[in-house]
Amino acid sequence: MATTLLPGEFESGAVPGMGPGDERLRGLHRAIAPLMAVHGLPRWLFWTGATITLVFVVLAVFAPEIAPYGYNQYVAHGIRFPQQAPPSAVHWLGTTVVSEDVYSRVIFGARTSIEVVVLALMFSVVIGVPLGLISGYFGGWLDRVLVLINDSIFAFPYLLLAIVIAFLLSSSVGGGVLTAAIAITVVYIPQYFRVVRNTVLSVREEPYVEAGRALGAKPRTVIRRYVFANVVHSVPVVASLNAADAILTLAALSFLGIGMDPSVAAEWGYDISRGIADAQAGFWWTGLFPGLAVILLVTGLTLVGEGINDTFNPLLRRPNHRRFAMPKDAREATTAAVEMERPVVRVRDLRVWYATDRGPVRAVDGVSFEIRERETLGLVGESGSGKSTLGRGILGLLPVGAIRDGSVDFEGRDLVKATQQEMRHLRGPSIGLVFQEPMTRLDPLMRISDHFAEALHTHEPDISDAEIRRRSLEALGGVRIPPTRFHNYPYEFSGGMRQRIMIALALVLKPRFVIADEPTTALDVLVEAQILSIIADLKNNFDTALLLITHNLGIVAESCDRVAVMYAGRIVEQGAVADIFSRPEHPYTQELMRSTISLSTRKLHYIPGAPPDLAAPPSGCRFHPRCPQAMEVCRAKEPVGIEIRPSHLAECWLHGPQEEIPPDGRRPLEREEIGIADEA
Amino acid sequence: MVFILLTLVFLLMRVAPGNPILAALGGHLSHAQLLERERAAGYDKPLIVQYGEYLKQVLTGHLGTTLTDHRPVTQVIAQNGAATLELTVAAMFVALIVGVPLGMLAGRMRDTWIDTGARIFGIVIYAAPVFFLGLLAQELFGHILNWLPTSSESGVLVQATLTPHTNILLIDAMIDGQWGDIPDLLAHLVLPAGTLGLVISGVVLRLVRVNVIQTMKGDYIEAARARGLKERSVVVRHAFRNALVPIVTVSGLQAALLLSGAVLTEETFNWPGIGSELIYYLGARDYIAVQGIIIVFALAVVAISLLIDLINAWIDPRVRY
Repeated sequence: MATTLLPGEFESGAVPGMGPGDERLRGLHRAIAPLMAVHGLPRWLFWTGATITLVFVVLAVFAPEIAPYGYNQYVAHGIRFPQQAPPSAVHWLGTTVVSEDVYSRVIFGARTSIEVVVLALMFSVVIGVPLGLISGYFGGWLDRVLVLINDSIFAFPYLLLAIVIAFLLSSSVGGGVLTAAIAITVVYIPQYFRVVRNTVLSVREEPYVEAGRALGAKPRTVIRRYVFANVVHSVPVVASLNAADAILTLAALSFLGIGMDPSVAAEWGYDISRGIADAQAGFWWTGLFPGLAVILLVTGLTLVGEGINDTFNPLLRRPNHRRFAMPKDAREATTAAVEMERPVVRVRDLRVWYATDRGPVRAVDGVSFEIRERETLGLVGESGSGKSTLGRGILGLLPVGAIRDGSVDFEGRDLVKATQQEMRHLRGPSIGLVFQEPMTRLDPLMRISDHFAEALHTHEPDISDAEIRRRSLEALGGVRIPPTRFHNYPYEFSGGMRQRIMIALALVLKPRFVIADEPTTALDVLVEAQILSIIADLKNNFDTALLLITHNLGIVAESCDRVAVMYAGRIVEQGAVADIFSRPEHPYTQELMRSTISLSTRKLHYIPGAPPDLAAPPSGCRFHPRCPQAMEVCRAKEPVGIEIRPSHLAECWLHGPQEEIPPDGRRPLEREEIGIADEA
Repeated sequence: MVFILLTLVFLLMRVAPGNPILAALGGHLSHAQLLERERAAGYDKPLIVQYGEYLKQVLTGHLGTTLTDHRPVTQVIAQNGAATLELTVAAMFVALIVGVPLGMLAGRMRDTWIDTGARIFGIVIYAAPVFFLGLLAQELFGHILNWLPTSSESGVLVQATLTPHTNILLIDAMIDGQWGDIPDLLAHLVLPAGTLGLVISGVVLRLVRVNVIQTMKGDYIEAARARGLKERSVVVRHAFRNALVPIVTVSGLQAALLLSGAVLTEETFNWPGIGSELIYYLGARDYIAVQGIIIVFALAVVAISLLIDLINAWIDPRVRY
């Protein structure tokens, strides 16, 4: 079986040496592999559903062998069965008003249901899929007409349609399995049509189809492959949920006495309709068991469909986090040497690890720094270096499964040890957070005024409406949003304006410490300058301490007092902006400076290799595989923080301490590893 | 869309073997009488002409007279349609009361036993045919406990004393101030509406749960937490309100489910709605009546989708303009 496949392993294009048959097999593997990888409750539900379904399929196939009597048999060995007998050893589930064995009827009912469902699904796939392909591929008026008809059928009460068609068919060709199946088919064709048509349409717009066409490739080949892959994923979900619905529709039809001729097959819905009359006379068993059979089979099929959907729908998927315990940090505190007067925040050896299905990811791994009043610390580093996690880690806003360790001293309180309740009171009035993407950070259904009122009310319950208005407009005025826009909704503002509103929303609570997480990344250059000047005003006017997270060294040079450079979860160098920019001491900082584009840039410089996987970071210094000056010691031992000059720290063996470097440690590292990393 | 559905109804009714007159009255009348009736109804004209006349009649609100018992179709719709309206509105009320809180709870407490329990409840209740649940409810509350009536819309006495205004009996009783009739009417409503509502609540629950889970991942939820808002107001004011938009949209698509369920519920509880009339006229092969009733269902679907648009505009400022 394909259980060893990693999810997404076959994501890219064709595998060489695979024929069309293999391709189909591969599609199947790809469809099944994630199901095998699902854990916990979804897996349990899926397999329960699959088991139930399988049991009913077995009952259906071997009905004549399993059932003790025929579905309409009322005599055996010349003796007529008792009429309306309660469940007994002879007739396990009792007998009906015409002496039929209920148990046998339930089993034969499974056969009828499964026959109808299989036929109906086959018909609707065979008709719906090609129609969808044609509609999506050719487009034009044909597409419009087909879509219109399909939408109309789809919106119409499906049961009514099935009733009318079953009725018309049974008055011309008679009731039976085929009649019921056709009536149900008509109802489900639109669903397959939709799925397939939308898939074809979306692939037609794909850039690579366009690109292929420009290169002279046949778009049909690409479309076929892509559509096939998607249909393999979506049709089973639709089919198993449809199968569940089809059972219910069939039962409803025969309950109403339409479509199925009760003399040609046993049917649960028909038996339930008899059961309603029987139950009023006290014969509860004739309707109960067929009803339970319907519930069980439909539940089983739904669980299968939901299981498949849970697995493939990325919105519902949930990785299986492995719980972990964070080991005690054996390293010494690295920056204890710097002493500043009265820091607002003092972070010591902060570690934030995420649980993933590959084990813990050390997003922040032993970080220390301090920020004083009216001071801005810039935190720079590549994407994925742990900058944003650090900002959220301070506030305790972490996803389920993340663990924090170390200490964050804020006004004499350790935030790592604070309770959720204490943290909630600090968030906002004491520590503000400004996010990277302003477009999605405001509640789209709330007026700007309501955002302000809510925040102020939460932290100052006694505040008056007039005061709310005055303070909000003051804060908005500070970011140059006119009072006339106070009652507007978020969608009425541009990205830059929303970011200014977010800043005002943070400032209206007058926090002493603000974390701004790439506040300008999503904005254009002019707006960026505007936001930065607002942030600069802020610390001057409110004595705020600011942690400015960015990957833009220009912003750091312009708006920060000190800078900390982060690499792979560690701060590798920190100091005054002037010091770091004029004399960067860590090779990573040097490389980062060289990568900056300026007017004098002649040739783009980049750092070879990629940031390391934080689930399994490199040994020793985490930068050693990419470091142009790496030595033997860098691979063997983790570097220690060294104060190179007052308030300028770096974690790099180049700067010692000499006594800790082993005798051979200064030998340059073999270079081959960079080559490997570069290809990754 | 109404147009397409009307055409569909027309074609379906005409592809039936024979013609409506023959189907409904064949055997009751002599051959000459049948021909006479066919000519009167215009069935001897070409199909396209019939289609044109049909459209004209429908658009001007002339749905004809039933073939079997000579009731104007509009009267069937007004009388029995009102009963169906009462049933479906009450059922939707039950579905929302049960489905929304459970779905929110399940979405909020994701992957706990509460979530699992609610999910399984949702799946199983949806898997139950509404007429089977009706059977169980009749058995339990009607016969074993003997608390509630299991059939029809009102007691005989009430039915005799009420004057129809809107044909919605509850409202008629209120208009005439016959407050004493209300308990009887409500008692008759409880089982049918409760049964249908419970089945629909399974769908509502699943819908609410998924959407709450998705909105809880929203950026503005994290931002609201970062402002130190109470968890309860983050969940209620931000997450649930935003989840409502897709919930309302998708529940509009469930109108088909509600109306289909109404047909079955009416049959189960002898509810004198338009659905049970449809089944009756189908059995009598009265195509004029069937055609008229199906047109009403089609219009109901369109009306519901308009209603959904209005509700969405009320919740979401981005839809308003």
